[in-house]
Amino acid sequence: MKKGVLILVLGLVAAAAAYGCVYFACTSSARTLERSDKPELAWLKEEFKLSDTEFKRVSELHAAYLPQCREMCRKIDAQNAQLQKLLATATNATTEIDAALAKAGQMRSECQRMMLHHFFQVSQTMPPEQGRRYLSWVKEKAFLLDYGMNEKP
Amino acid sequence: MKTKNPSENDGALSVLLREWKVEATLPPRLKEEVWRRIQHTQVPASSSVWVVIAQWIATVLPRPVLAVSYVSVLLAVGGTFGWAQAHQETAHVKGELGDRYVRILDPYQAPRE
Repeated sequence: MKKGVLILVLGLVAAAAAYGCVYFACTSSARTLERSDKPELAWLKEEFKLSDTEFKRVSELHAAYLPQCREMCRKIDAQNAQLQKLLATATNATTEIDAALAKAGQMRSECQRMMLHHFFQVSQTMPPEQGRRYLSWVKEKAFLLDYGMNEKP
Repeated sequence: MKTKNPSENDGALSVLLREWKVEATLPPRLKEEVWRRIQHTQVPASSSVWVVIAQWIATVLPRPVLAVSYVSVLLAVGGTFGWAQAHQETAHVKGELGDRYVRILDPYQAPRE
């Protein structure tokens, strides 16, 4: 009986050990990405198989883009606040509301133009095949959003 | 071939057997004890699945071929589950990092400080 129980336990321990070892080994790349200084850029490097030179250039473009993005965020927040203020007291459509909505649309268009320009620059830094794949992926993520319209109530 | 009556051939043995007397006394309450043991041995035979499993573990599992197969199968099952879980976890982390990359670049999705 003792031998049988020992084998039974050994099997269970072996299963647990195999699970742990394989899980640990197979998630090591994800852990490395998460622990890196800039995980999203580290992911980009791995996903699109960038060389160190390509990655350096992409990182420079990324760093140069971020201040423009922050400035755009500030403008969007200010514009949204102004629109909310107008809407809070309005009972009819006014010329001010129309102007604020038009400006918001213009800002969105400017924002998309800026993003697209950055995405093209980044894709041109990559090897052609990876660049095409990057553009296809990023356009879908950034420009084909349904803003929750396909969500079921 | 004609068979002979054993009592004719082994007359001496027959005499001895007739003279033999058992002098040993039976232990007290022998009958009850015998029935108690019979009842005791009958209980596991009709008992639950656990007893069958325990018997299987004690008698069948220690066979070398079966023991090696059992441990190998559990190793494979553990490894497969580990791989599947890791694959799912890695895909989730990478998907999340990809989303984060786009959120950082899109002013309409960017986290505000």
